[in-house]
Amino acid sequence: MTTLAIIGGGPAGYVAAITAAQQGQQVILIEQGPLGGTCLNEGCMPTKSLLESAEVYEKVRHAEDFGISLSSAQVGVNWNQVQQRKNRIVQTLVQGIGYLMKKNRIQVKNGTASFLTANRLRVENESGQEIVEADRFIIASGSEPISLPFAPFDGEWVIHSGQAMSLPSIPSSLLIIGGGVIGCEFASIYSRLGTKVTIVEMAEQLLPGEDEDIASILQEQLEKDGVTIYTSTSLKDLNADKKKAIIENQEGIRELSADYVLVSIGRKPRTANLGLEDIGIEFSKRGIAVNEQMQTNIPHIYACGDVIGGIQLAHVAFHEGTIAALHSGGQEVKVNYRAIPRCIYTSPEIAGVGLTEKQAREQYGDIRVGEFPFTANGKALILNEPIGKVKVIVEPQYHEIVGVSIVGPRATELIGQGTVMLHAEMTVDIMEDLVEAHPTLSEAIHEALLSAVGHAVHV
Amino acid sequence: MAVEVVMPKLGMSMKEGTVSVWNKQAGDPVKKGELIASINSEKIEMELESPADGTILDIVVPEGEGVPPGTVICYIGDANESISKIERNVETAQTEVAATATATKVKESQPSVQTAAKEKIKISPVARKMAEAANLDIRTIQGTGPGGRITKEDVQKAIANSSSVESPSTKEQKPAETITHNIEPTKKVPVAGMRKIIAERMQGSLQNSAQLTLNMKVDVTDWIALQKQLTETAQTHYETKLTVTDFVARAVVLSLQQHKEMNSAYINDQIHLFDSIHLGMAVALDKGLVVPVIRNAENQSLIQLAQNIKSLAKRARQGQLSHEEMKGSTFTISNLGAYGIEHFTPILNPPEAGILGVGATYDTPVYIGDKLERRTILPLSLTFDHRVLDGAPAAAFLRTLKQYLEEPFTVLL
Repeated sequence: MTTLAIIGGGPAGYVAAITAAQQGQQVILIEQGPLGGTCLNEGCMPTKSLLESAEVYEKVRHAEDFGISLSSAQVGVNWNQVQQRKNRIVQTLVQGIGYLMKKNRIQVKNGTASFLTANRLRVENESGQEIVEADRFIIASGSEPISLPFAPFDGEWVIHSGQAMSLPSIPSSLLIIGGGVIGCEFASIYSRLGTKVTIVEMAEQLLPGEDEDIASILQEQLEKDGVTIYTSTSLKDLNADKKKAIIENQEGIRELSADYVLVSIGRKPRTANLGLEDIGIEFSKRGIAVNEQMQTNIPHIYACGDVIGGIQLAHVAFHEGTIAALHSGGQEVKVNYRAIPRCIYTSPEIAGVGLTEKQAREQYGDIRVGEFPFTANGKALILNEPIGKVKVIVEPQYHEIVGVSIVGPRATELIGQGTVMLHAEMTVDIMEDLVEAHPTLSEAIHEALLSAVGHAVHV
Repeated sequence: MAVEVVMPKLGMSMKEGTVSVWNKQAGDPVKKGELIASINSEKIEMELESPADGTILDIVVPEGEGVPPGTVICYIGDANESISKIERNVETAQTEVAATATATKVKESQPSVQTAAKEKIKISPVARKMAEAANLDIRTIQGTGPGGRITKEDVQKAIANSSSVESPSTKEQKPAETITHNIEPTKKVPVAGMRKIIAERMQGSLQNSAQLTLNMKVDVTDWIALQKQLTETAQTHYETKLTVTDFVARAVVLSLQQHKEMNSAYINDQIHLFDSIHLGMAVALDKGLVVPVIRNAENQSLIQLAQNIKSLAKRARQGQLSHEEMKGSTFTISNLGAYGIEHFTPILNPPEAGILGVGATYDTPVYIGDKLERRTILPLSLTFDHRVLDGAPAAAFLRTLKQYLEEPFTVLL
């Protein structure tokens, strides 16, 4: 039986551990913190818990729109309880992974790991250190927030996303540096909880990875919710003593103040102190360099998840972890990034899979774009959220559906249909005859497909 | 206001249609219901009626160009209407067109078989289209997707491989290519509609089965004598002629009943044997070959067969056959005798295991005992699928057929 040692118990690491154990490998998992990694402890799960609380608050505040009278009730946010709920959810999920480790007979070691040689690890914790030897290794050490060189995270005023989700109280003002996915999600949470939020983004639009028309729908909605947004704007200085930020754009220099400054300008692979340079692991510009089987330049050492850079999403890490584990167990597999959904849990939600319109035009030229607005969708109206649209992109030669973007209610759930279409390499003529249930938000997807071939019904 | 006329969708699976003939030109006046074009799809040919009174303002899709259903093929409107306005003010007339148009001809004898073959191979929709466009046989492509499914990437690789394999031979072929290119054809005919279907089916037949042909000469002198006696009776009583084809058809039915392995089909790695005999009768039309089917030929007398063969052939020539009348044959007869052809190598009508080619009769001296006699000989060619049966049983079938034809009374009784 071969022994596999995995560094990191986040989405890439724990899925790799379970997969390898199921394949009959003896697995040792080394994790310095709680199991579940960033996703469970400081990322996806806790932020979505906060978002849901904000969502409920938002719904209750608009109860009158639905004909529900709340005149006698006191509506407010109990931040402590919101935090407790979040912590309970995280705790339950972390315990769940612990259970899975036991069930699959995976040996979990708490501590930090570093390579001594290409076959030996030193694992250290408060109680001492030990040597772990294995036949194969998977590095899944994850990523950490990038800090500003002139203003490191202090946890008091300059904070990262992990800290932003556990603030002692709802801040009265929050300045967010970076209008990417994380920045926009926190803007959505706190603006709806009553915080005065300001976003500063260097690019011309929020969410630089998504199409401009999609991002602009979010920007409009955030502004309606009272968020101040500065795009094409750079941060000149953060003065922690005066709690002042200096920003600059075409209109000039401006001084901003806030209770907290959330720096969300991206995440970098966590590669320090692992002894990687000592054993000669090679790096790409983005992180540890790997092939399609997730192997590093040392074939029995694999790397997957955020530590290889690329698409830093938990579900990509699950997939990469699975591939690394299967390949280390001798199976001929390779990673497949063809249909990776992107989900942004803002209000309205944004989701996409495949190419954006801009990317598709660059790749295919004269594409067909089908759009359908949620204003023409009955279910969206019933939900009181007739905002946003579905956009599908069809390439000109074989009419394959190469991209789906959704901004609007439940976009992150709806995108699953787009993911299936792209995964199955669907062509639009096949999807034309699809029957969607009525009344559902899903109808908007079919209508967008029909619009791509020139005959949408309900617009 | 101008009306868009679109390529109608003639069935769910239609991917492409072609205007085979425009009856009108831009500027011609049209009346609602007037036939403006002939439309050709893989399976159907139909006449397209004008959805409105007016003038053909512009013809967008020229003859011979394949377009997906729903594509605008022409605009009809007021003669003085400018075309630039059309794009904004159109009324889509697709449903109207589809409803008023009458499908007149149905082609392709066995779509079910084709579907079955398609289902056997796991392939993504876009991969299938790419392979079709590149003329790649999908059975030769190695699938790497889930469960061996052929993905887009697999087809891309196969295309890359086939072009790299071809490159040396392409070089060798260069002189020939240059010659072909030097000769400018006077007309280029797009392979579409019926021609395309025939091309695909015949090539598929040769590629996908192990066919070979046995030849045999049959002495039909006695039959010719009998035919002369029967002709008048048949004409007066049944208002039909009796031809060699009718006689052969009846003899084939009798022989198939004795040799069931010849009345069979090779489908999905299984040999299907049939009790019922559905005879396909190849009929040449100007536009191509069709094979109407005489169902349950085993229950028909010689006269009934003769009547049915003539009526089917007539309706085939008039383009009145329904789709149902051209599918489900279990054995096919093809007759090139009228052209003076003797033996030939008919191509199997897949998935059938046998097809009989009937040649032209000729008179020749034959020894009967010690004496030379003038006899009438009919050349027969049987193509069969060696995967289904071997040479000996196929030859035995031919021998039985010969016996029936040489003893004509056995066919009558």
